[in-house]
Amino acid sequence: MAKKQRGKTASSSKTAHKEKTTENLNMILESSDDEAPEEVTFEDSKVQALRSMQQALDTARREKELLKEKRRKRQELFQEQKKRKLLPTDVLEEIDSSATKKQKQATDEAEEEQQEEEEDKDEKGKRREKKKKTKKSAHSRNLKGNYTVTTTNDRTLTSFQQQAAEDFIKSRLYGPGSCRTTSNELLSLQNKKGTNKSAAVQFVKKDWACKQKAKAEMLKKRWIHKQRFPSS
Amino acid sequence: MGEFKVHRVRFFDYMPSAIRAMAFNHRTERLAVARSDGAVEIFNFTDSYYQEKVIPGRDGRAVEALCWVGQRLFSAGLNGEITEYDLENLRPQYIVEAYGGPIWTISCNSQGTHLAVGCEDGTVKLFEILKEKIQFQRNLDRQKSRIISLCWHPSGAQIAAGMMDMIKIFDTETGRATHRLLVERGVGTSKTREVVVWSVAFLSDNTIVSGDSAGKVQIWDGSMGTLVRTHLVTKWDVLALSVSQDESSLIAGTSEGTVVQFQFLSSTVDRQDPEWVRTRTFKSHSHDVRALVLTDTAVVSGGMDTQLSVRPLLDKVEKNTQEAAQRKIAFPHRNLVSCAKKAGLLLFQFPDHLELWRLGESDGNGKPGDSLPLKRKPEKLLQLKRKGEDHICCSAVSPCGGWLVYSTVSSVRLYKLQYSNNSVSITKVSKLPRELQSVHQLCFSADSSRLFAASSQSSVVVVALNQLECKYLQTLRHKSGSRQPVHLLFPSEDGRWLATANTDCQIHVYNLQKMKLHCAVPVHSSCPTAIAIHPTSSRLVSVHADQQIFEFSLLQQEYTEWSRKLQKQGLHSVWLKRDTPVTSVGFSPRNPTHILLNDTFMFCIIDQSLPLPESRTLLLNQTVLRSLPGPERARQSHAFKICKNFQNVLSVALLDDLSLAVVERPLLDVMAQLPAPVRQKKFAT
Repeated sequence: MAKKQRGKTASSSKTAHKEKTTENLNMILESSDDEAPEEVTFEDSKVQALRSMQQALDTARREKELLKEKRRKRQELFQEQKKRKLLPTDVLEEIDSSATKKQKQATDEAEEEQQEEEEDKDEKGKRREKKKKTKKSAHSRNLKGNYTVTTTNDRTLTSFQQQAAEDFIKSRLYGPGSCRTTSNELLSLQNKKGTNKSAAVQFVKKDWACKQKAKAEMLKKRWIHKQRFPSS
Repeated sequence: MGEFKVHRVRFFDYMPSAIRAMAFNHRTERLAVARSDGAVEIFNFTDSYYQEKVIPGRDGRAVEALCWVGQRLFSAGLNGEITEYDLENLRPQYIVEAYGGPIWTISCNSQGTHLAVGCEDGTVKLFEILKEKIQFQRNLDRQKSRIISLCWHPSGAQIAAGMMDMIKIFDTETGRATHRLLVERGVGTSKTREVVVWSVAFLSDNTIVSGDSAGKVQIWDGSMGTLVRTHLVTKWDVLALSVSQDESSLIAGTSEGTVVQFQFLSSTVDRQDPEWVRTRTFKSHSHDVRALVLTDTAVVSGGMDTQLSVRPLLDKVEKNTQEAAQRKIAFPHRNLVSCAKKAGLLLFQFPDHLELWRLGESDGNGKPGDSLPLKRKPEKLLQLKRKGEDHICCSAVSPCGGWLVYSTVSSVRLYKLQYSNNSVSITKVSKLPRELQSVHQLCFSADSSRLFAASSQSSVVVVALNQLECKYLQTLRHKSGSRQPVHLLFPSEDGRWLATANTDCQIHVYNLQKMKLHCAVPVHSSCPTAIAIHPTSSRLVSVHADQQIFEFSLLQQEYTEWSRKLQKQGLHSVWLKRDTPVTSVGFSPRNPTHILLNDTFMFCIIDQSLPLPESRTLLLNQTVLRSLPGPERARQSHAFKICKNFQNVLSVALLDDLSLAVVERPLLDVMAQLPAPVRQKKFAT
């Protein structure tokens, strides 16, 4: 108990520890009035006091270190999270490098462009390359694969307005409530009304309505499966 | 007739784009048609509806309305720009931003001094038409909703504007709205939906006619601002209106694909006051009619089904004549297919890309009419996307297949192709001469060493090609002073001659050895639609829009004996009645007296050694002849051998191995890709 108390006091103050130990000693002496005082040599108690003091100091340091460690880990976690929000490093590197390198076209003309690059080895080519770089808008960058990074604020107000106007026409002519059918229906109507009737267009033309045919095929398979295993 | 191995090509997925707007110039009888991809086409109605000029489109140029002012053509579109076209160089001359958002309509007053445009932001903007440009003058009172349609009063003092739910009449002097005519919404579910006044017409007796999205054609009294009469025409939208010049008749086009005619008549004989009476309904389209023109004699309509229909009014034309027949123009009158005759390649031109195909091969032999088994399937070698936003206006592949060139209004691109057993490599030719800039037509010489490009003022730029470079040689010019664009080019097989034809109906022949004009062929009143020079005898064959055929000897510089005989006797009436122009002329190396022609619906061989058909004989006599015995067959056969096995033909070319490549585009395939039509209930289906 005495140790504990001493420990606590020691932890609270470092500089005036000697005076305090004497005080504490007095306190112990006072508290154990009725008992016979245990014989403790001054040397012993001094050693004990010093040890406990050392322990207290150690715990304080450890606590501080723990706190530091915690903060550091937290910082690391934040950085990790920040990184995770960004694009992967290889992509970022690609962007950086492509800014300096020649911009490649990721379309069907890739082949052609390669040829051009080969040509570009001579000086004339280089000059032309420069010209090309200046011609292209600074807002778009092409990556290695089929990805293109473009800033979105490049589109002007007019194109948005144009899009809105086109959407207006589309919604008026083809939107809900416009009672439209499909070209397939129209063709089948024509077929029914015509003088020489033939099979529906999707059967005559093999390459037509591929999606619907694929879907029908799938449903048919499913149906057959169901017939075969009615329980499952 | 001669037997050919035929490559029946059906893999050209050409898709014409929908007709969006039309304008008719009553003085020059030219119809301007704007398509949804931004292309503008000019048809000459005095010359068998020949498609004289095509101005290629551009990405984002959504032309919404067209307007002629004298000889000048203006368009306005949803990109908010007013464009005047340069009809000599087939490109926009200048573009003026209206600063009012998307433009829905453009209209010119009858005096030809001002243009009015209706904008998305609710303003009607007046532009003054000056020489070589237009200048903004002022805005009329700004309205709350977009201006969809506009029409000037013939006096020029008032403008009627169709908007959402209403029509407003503006005084052009003060710019104030004088009347507001409220248009009733549709019945039933569409009650909550605003009605759009798609089209409006202002007549000289102050009558206003409107067509709206509720399917009504309404007649208003413009001076009092009252509704006179409502005609419910359709359950869908009335999208377009057009009034005849004498204001006695008007037509309305609907989403159903019908065109309804109204006439200003007294309804009964004894009543004196005439009124607008619904008279006729035409159904010439399967899809929405979006553009209409009523000429003096015919209803011209076009819409989402991409076909231009010309339907003569039978009370205005003589019955049972060529004039009284309905015409449908489904395909362009120029060639979109270029053929490498030596290499067996076909180049297909789309607005935004080119496709190069190798024809299939077959080693089988069969009877005439059999289809042969394929040894090698046709294969797509290359798909080349164009650069930039301008659409491709012309393209060509060299006969050896080693060069490919295309042009947009802004630039020309030349590529060198190399084939190694299963792959194609393409190299862009980097430095082109500066003279190759604005080009309307391109072709290669027969030995692929020269490139000819039709440039401005009907000149022809000659460029020499070899492995290392491409070098400008010369510009060929003629002295007739015509500035019209060249639409046909034909270099002769032996490399001596180059023939050009322009839309002024002139044909010029240049001597390529001396690099100067050799002669000009006498001008026929109709525009040439196909020209060719015979490979051995240097005779120029030209076929014109009125179906006449001429043969001109370049050495004697006169019409040949055969041509004179043909003119004297006259062509067969069945031949003259065909309604599509001949788009290509060729010669058979096997038989020098044969001329090969084709139009959209037939393929024909003219045998010059045989007698010309009499007017009473059957022109299409191939099946009859086949059933006759030998001597009788020889007696009955005549020069015109016509084959109708192929329909909707875009191009026919005779390859060097004497097989024919026939490129067909069945209309059914085009129709299957069109947008949704309206749902109609048909009895008993």
